[in-house]
Amino acid sequence: MSRRITILKPGLQTCVQELPGRLGFLEQGFPISGPFDIWSFRQANILVGNHRDTAALECQFVGPTLRIVSDCMLSVTGADMSPTLDGTPIPMFTTIAANAGQILCLGFARSGARAYIAFSGGVATIPVMGSRAVFHQAGVGGRAVEEGQTLPLGDSDASTRFTVQASARPTITTEGRWTIEALAGPNDDWLGKESVDLFFAADWSIQAKSSRTGIRLTGPEFSFSEKALNKKPDHGQDPSNIIDHGYPMGAVNLAGQTPIILVNDSPSTGGFINPFTVASAAFWKLAQAKPGEVLRFRQIDRAEAGVMRAEIDAKTVPEVLERV
Amino acid sequence: MLHESLRFYPGGDRAIEVELGDGMDFSINFIVHRLVSTVRQSEIRGVVDLIPELASFQVNYDSDIISYEDLCTEIETLYSELGRGVTGSLASRLITIPVLYFDPKTTACISDYRKKYPDKTPDPELVRELNGIPDLAALKRCHSTTEYWVAALGFWPGLCSLLPLRPGSRIIAPKYDPPRTDTPKGAIGIGGALTCIYPDATPGGYQLIGHTPAPTYDGTQRLRDFKDSLALFRAGDRVRFAPVEMDEYREIEARVAEGSFEHDIIDYQVFSVDRYLDWAKAQEASA
Repeated sequence: MSRRITILKPGLQTCVQELPGRLGFLEQGFPISGPFDIWSFRQANILVGNHRDTAALECQFVGPTLRIVSDCMLSVTGADMSPTLDGTPIPMFTTIAANAGQILCLGFARSGARAYIAFSGGVATIPVMGSRAVFHQAGVGGRAVEEGQTLPLGDSDASTRFTVQASARPTITTEGRWTIEALAGPNDDWLGKESVDLFFAADWSIQAKSSRTGIRLTGPEFSFSEKALNKKPDHGQDPSNIIDHGYPMGAVNLAGQTPIILVNDSPSTGGFINPFTVASAAFWKLAQAKPGEVLRFRQIDRAEAGVMRAEIDAKTVPEVLERV
Repeated sequence: MLHESLRFYPGGDRAIEVELGDGMDFSINFIVHRLVSTVRQSEIRGVVDLIPELASFQVNYDSDIISYEDLCTEIETLYSELGRGVTGSLASRLITIPVLYFDPKTTACISDYRKKYPDKTPDPELVRELNGIPDLAALKRCHSTTEYWVAALGFWPGLCSLLPLRPGSRIIAPKYDPPRTDTPKGAIGIGGALTCIYPDATPGGYQLIGHTPAPTYDGTQRLRDFKDSLALFRAGDRVRFAPVEMDEYREIEARVAEGSFEHDIIDYQVFSVDRYLDWAKAQEASA
């Protein structure tokens, strides 16, 4: 009989995600999708003997309850949703040998916002346009899991139990303040100089209407440069309008006066400026920050962004595991 | 206007915006597509994905494989070899989309919005007025007697930006402020100088003038035209709107529902840019 799990309670928009996401279809308007916190996602996979980019579950704010139908190794990483197996708390960032019939239950996120559940063999849903990553809003690659749904697992003979060294785990703060590394551009020259400085000096609080399609921020007002105020009508009427252009992942998109950070399931293109872009290595923090919490942006350059990427990359390899 | 040279703007550590010009017209967009296809064919190591847009394109890249500076240089070299001339021919599918102009679905959507914002002029009337078109029959004629160029796709899977190719069919409309929270799937709208077909029920801001029962997006890949992608259009396609009346509209709806509907796609067409530009110039001169 094929290996699988059954969803008993779906949680809040629990989705299958896979790396590198859905590449090659951006020009038809399909976002890349994929896991929001790559650090936790990859550690979940290596704990169960998978390639680190294998399909796994991303849980958001409230995790699912599911039945293990076939014996497997599993791991839970990322936000602390108080995971239990048959009612007994299980350690996070640690391989768990689960038996057929056991119930895995995740609750509300006590710290962070997104947890990852990986199973040995990976989640083996059918890829759509080259990827198992789910873009829930448009139903690309499926939607969030539902009660009663069965998810197939791939084959695996993993049996070793590991834990991630404490120093290699992401530190998910419970203090409600995050420093997010960001780069100027592509459209920082559409803002007044004082607004560029203010962006990196101000506190930005995360609005409730934030999700994988965008993180909306509340903070001070922006002022615009001559380039934004005195432009060809082709660009549109508002100072923040520009002729439709591509939207980079992590762009801080300015629609009117509301900055929206564009993340994994955000629009691929549009007609508003993107004065700043969050570094790819800071994405895991956006994934774990909750509505009501505060972001402070720290300006970095491409060299530092590269150093940060390398640091996370080195923490998502089997060498950071210890046997238990 | 086309810029003298390419302008590069970094988008964090994994994207570059390459700007060719700052206008919404066919010539700039054509050069964008030609450069994007050259970049794609040259298979530069580290290029992950490309998004052609109206006057610019985005390159997504892996900065552990190629640096920002090296990638900009590569693209600049390709552009200088290619030149800035607008000439040549390209394969371009011609897709005919049936439209019921001023249909019940978009009419209801406009009424809903006007319950909250009563000062909003109904969309077809607003578009007619702003463009000095005498009546709605003339608006329908103006909108449906041109081919459209699929200039770009994005914002939502399958959402197309269509530029009218006949100079006399250029219609300009402002976008909704504030935007609609919902738009019927298949609605046809005008915003700025562009027409779009809403591929799915989504928020939106374009002025609605009609509806097509023929899907341009099929999330379940049930219809034959969607076997390879969930979205119908590709950049560089051309689109024609064929006005239909209610009986034909219902008939198409029924064929979509039973899964037998197939789009009218003419696949053997070649689009001559030189002949098009000569023709457009002559049209404008005689206007």
